Amino acid sequence: MSAHRVRAITRRLLQQFRRDRRTLVLLFGAPLVILSLLGYLLRGGGDVPKMGVVNLDGGGLGSVVAAALESSKTVSASAMSAADAEARLRSGDIAGYVLLPSDFSVKAQQSRLIAPEVHLEGSQPGLSQSILQAVSESFAALAGQAGGVRFAPHVTFLYGGPNFDTLDYFGAAFIGLVVFFLVFVITAVAFLRERGQGTLERLMASPLRRAEIVLGYMLGFTVLALVQSAEVLAFSLLVLHVHNVGNVALIFVLEALMAIAAVNLGIFLSMFARTEFQAVQFIPLVIVPQMLLAGIIFPVSTEPGPLQALSHVLPLTYAVEGLRNIMIKGADLGWSSLQLDFGVVLGFCILVILAGATTLRRRIA
Amino acid sequence: MATLAYAVEVDAVSKRFGPIVALDKATLQIRRGEVYGLLGPNGAGKTTLIRSLVGLVAPEAGTVTVLGQRMPRLDVLARVGYMTQQAALYPDLSAEENVHFFGAINGRVDGVRDALEFVDLWDRRKSVVGTLSGGMRTRCSLACALVHKPELLLLDEPTVGVDPLLRIQLWDRFRKMAAGGTSILISSHVMDEAERCDRLGLIRFGRLLAEGTVAELKAKAGVERLEDAFLKLSEVREP
Repeated sequence: MSAHRVRAITRRLLQQFRRDRRTLVLLFGAPLVILSLLGYLLRGGGDVPKMGVVNLDGGGLGSVVAAALESSKTVSASAMSAADAEARLRSGDIAGYVLLPSDFSVKAQQSRLIAPEVHLEGSQPGLSQSILQAVSESFAALAGQAGGVRFAPHVTFLYGGPNFDTLDYFGAAFIGLVVFFLVFVITAVAFLRERGQGTLERLMASPLRRAEIVLGYMLGFTVLALVQSAEVLAFSLLVLHVHNVGNVALIFVLEALMAIAAVNLGIFLSMFARTEFQAVQFIPLVIVPQMLLAGIIFPVSTEPGPLQALSHVLPLTYAVEGLRNIMIKGADLGWSSLQLDFGVVLGFCILVILAGATTLRRRIA
Repeated sequence: MATLAYAVEVDAVSKRFGPIVALDKATLQIRRGEVYGLLGPNGAGKTTLIRSLVGLVAPEAGTVTVLGQRMPRLDVLARVGYMTQQAALYPDLSAEENVHFFGAINGRVDGVRDALEFVDLWDRRKSVVGTLSGGMRTRCSLACALVHKPELLLLDEPTVGVDPLLRIQLWDRFRKMAAGGTSILISSHVMDEAERCDRLGLIRFGRLLAEGTVAELKAKAGVERLEDAFLKLSEVREP
């Protein structure tokens, strides 16, 4: 073992990095971007889940509970009629509502039983959890007043339900993410290889049009991406038994659109990398923020305002929402929200196809 | 003026890459059916000139006319074969698959066998390119450039890494192709290859310093050997 030789290798490595500015920027910039994003997301004082309070109680206890909920900091509760609450639940405007029946006070005093009805939208586990927590906290105050009462809420779910596990919620989102992520990386690397081995130069010196190269690539990778999409979907539904009440063909189409978008995003972004090594580094910058902001883990509606705006321009947000709409809510193309999801994903596809085609010429010069 | 007598006309073409002048009002003509040798040291501008012929380099000034058409034009490129300096091939495909692919994008796949036989690779056609030797890859790359039977063949240092025997064979075939009407531009810095060209252009610092047959260049420099002619004619100071 020669310290001299080891030092030569270490030194050469650092010299190489010194010349590779792009890698240095990514190496030292990407962690700050990701950590800032995560910090802002978790501590940025985002919106709390919205819920309704329907107080039909003739006695005085209902008002105590309603007041406790309305002053809660973990949810944003407001009083509304039962019909209004149901309508807003279905439209996705509120994540849930609590209904205090007309005999609420009477029952609480006579049978020492507090039995509110909690109606949850149910498609986002984080939101449901916040509401259940706020409701039980509001009743803790009441239990202190009345003494020795039992709290037994009657919880119903519009979508999903108590049998839903974490995978049922995340499965839908991950079907989109896995395909998007893998297809993006493979395309970006393949395109850079074309450039690195000099064959792109040959293609550009042939009668091939830019659009033909992009289309050829797109179709080739789309074949692979579609097979992968089908595999991911089949595995999720048949082996993992991820909950699905929607149309499998619709899921597949949305997934496939995301795969096609990923192919073209890979082609487009490979322009900004000189080597495969640099392309791989797009993962923390392109993929991780999308994972954090697309509503996969943290609901978009509870993000800090500026991040919500960012989430609303990320195509993955719509893909994830669309997949959840289909799989958890059973949405079809008659739903305006799903039309929006499909529209945005399709629009994104077209945008990146054009971006890939128009920037190709610059790439080889 | 573009005429059909010339396969290539480069007129006062200039190109810079940042502070580096790659081409400085370079002017040359290649006649139809001739083998034209572009001779110059490394970094003289040979590759940039060839790339400007196929539209990979956009000149800042001057005009490029290929097969009678002002470049860049995509349809002309189907009649041009271009072999890059580096053997640009798909390493995961076989030799035959590579040649077939380049034929297909140029609209002709009927010449795959001819092209592979021309470079003596027909027997190795099923071999994956990644497993071929350097010389075989160069030959395969050449086959890819001529599979569509182009009217103009641009070869950027085609014989680098090719053994002497095969080099002689290749030159025989270049001559045959030229006799059949194909115009060939070969860049090189090897003098014995230059001797085989119909006409030569000496390029240095992006400028065409002299042009003519081997005999003309020797006479112009007043020396016996082409190598000396090259040295004498390229005695210019860097601008």
